[in-house]
Amino acid sequence: MGAKAIGPARGAVFLLLVGSLPFVGVQHWVLNMLVFTLMYAAMSSAWNLVGGLAGYPSLGHAAFFGIGAYIEAIWFQHHSVVSGYEPFYLLPLVGIVGAVIGYPFALVAMRTRADVFAIVTITLLFVGQTLAFNLTGLTGGAQGLAIPPAPFSADSFERPYYLVLLLLLAIAMGVTWLTMRSKVGLSLSAVRADEDKAAAIGVHVGGVKMLTFCVSVGITAMVGGVWAAYESFIYPQFAFDPLITIGIVLMTFLGGRGTLWGPVLGAFVLELAQQYLAYTLGGNEYYLIAYALVFLVVMLLMPRGILPTLQARLRSRRRRRAMPDDPVAEPAPPPIGSAADYAVSIPAPNGSER
Amino acid sequence: MTALLEVKDLHRSFGPVKAVDGASLTVDEGSVTALIGPNGSGKTTLFNLITGHLRPDGGSVRFGGADATTAGPAALHRRGLTRTFQQARIFPQLTVQENLVVASGFTWRELFGRRINPRDAEAAQRLLEEFRLAHVADLYAAELSYGQRKLLEFAAVLMSKPRLVLLDEPTAGVNPVLIETMEQHIRERNAAGITFLIVEHDMGFVMRLCDPVVVLDRGREIFVGTPAEVQQNPAVLDAYLGA
Repeated sequence: MGAKAIGPARGAVFLLLVGSLPFVGVQHWVLNMLVFTLMYAAMSSAWNLVGGLAGYPSLGHAAFFGIGAYIEAIWFQHHSVVSGYEPFYLLPLVGIVGAVIGYPFALVAMRTRADVFAIVTITLLFVGQTLAFNLTGLTGGAQGLAIPPAPFSADSFERPYYLVLLLLLAIAMGVTWLTMRSKVGLSLSAVRADEDKAAAIGVHVGGVKMLTFCVSVGITAMVGGVWAAYESFIYPQFAFDPLITIGIVLMTFLGGRGTLWGPVLGAFVLELAQQYLAYTLGGNEYYLIAYALVFLVVMLLMPRGILPTLQARLRSRRRRRAMPDDPVAEPAPPPIGSAADYAVSIPAPNGSER
Repeated sequence: MTALLEVKDLHRSFGPVKAVDGASLTVDEGSVTALIGPNGSGKTTLFNLITGHLRPDGGSVRFGGADATTAGPAALHRRGLTRTFQQARIFPQLTVQENLVVASGFTWRELFGRRINPRDAEAAQRLLEEFRLAHVADLYAAELSYGQRKLLEFAAVLMSKPRLVLLDEPTAGVNPVLIETMEQHIRERNAAGITFLIVEHDMGFVMRLCDPVVVLDRGREIFVGTPAEVQQNPAVLDAYLGA
């Protein structure tokens, strides 16, 4: 696997390239689009830890996005914004609080698997939204909360948010890369394939699941925090938004679950397509149809996501070249992120093995 | 010889079906004990009870001199009791080498170390060579044949240096050459100090390899003896051929 050696170099080049965009006179509307793209790329990467590597399709991650947003907003009801950078200083705390809230939740939710886990986690999203609407003393309810806008110059207003989001994306990708290279990643692969068997051969199943979930939702909460500061006004229905959850999951599936670059690729394709279509198709809602169409076409042609499909093709071509005389048809590498992936993770009812 | 595993009066029902109904057996340290019986006699349920995959309704299990009745599979694995499954349960999305490494059991500190460090690779390589799987080390386990998967699962349980290995039908659906290989591996590992308890339908295999043989019928043991004794016992013949 030579990719491992050039992995960090590729990552650095990507981050440098994307990081230089705000400094080369890219227009504001493009930067604004990219801010949202980076937001989704960071969250998809974080989600991929749980949904991809561990095989737990969480639909509750947007709840942590909302939690992060509200921590920022509530904090700045009582503190002032002077330089404009204060919301960023708060981010580590936001991440930690997100992870701490995630822990007991995961402890309960991760006793379920696959579809049931998806349903259980989405409830957290609606619980969060309901609380945000109704704890009016804390959240302002439907009135929303305002964060004093940062006094950044209008010429480069997006720049700090853009760079901090890029940093969060770098953290998410770095964590993913380290996880995949460590025995945590190996353990997660075993959990995804056959959790009961993994537990029975001594894999620290509960430990790696909890750890991954907490890190993942911690990063997600930080993204929510940046979003709140960028928007400077948040409402429950946008902070706890099912569309965010759906976006994250779709992007990861599109790019390729369980891969390092898949979620990033998915975010850049889908978010940019969506924003662009929204601009060009304008005020009507046709862009949503076009958006769905993009997704359907890719899923039709590459059901496992873009990257795994390309990797599988490359792998089989390389092998065919290595042994040109081998008449035996190439067995397909196991589908990561296909429907079969879920099938194996559904627990057998107790005693079915009799 | 001392008893490594003692099962006493174990019970487990599924609704009205008494799958295991007062079974008792002893596995001596260093033995290769067989557990045979007609279909539906409760062999696999008994396996699941011993290995903690199921909780018994009554009775007790002792392993290595300590109680193991309510211990789960993970706890028992740490104590040196491990098993294979009737349908080999390997991790199809991991490579053959990774399947072995993930089964080696690591500490929290090792968890944050490299996915495969040189020591892991070496340990895996040694086993793979022994099991003649070295040439497929980098393939996904999903690409292996059925027999190779069984070998892989067997090799994987050896990674954690167990004291007692429970094999559930190690030869079912495996070609004759592989059966011989499997037999040889069990012999070698047994000579190296690992105790085996084997559920098996292939009587030739059992007769060549195992002593003693425990015969299970309708959820309890009906006879324990040497292979030769088992073959001549009227109660055993009755259980197999039906009354």
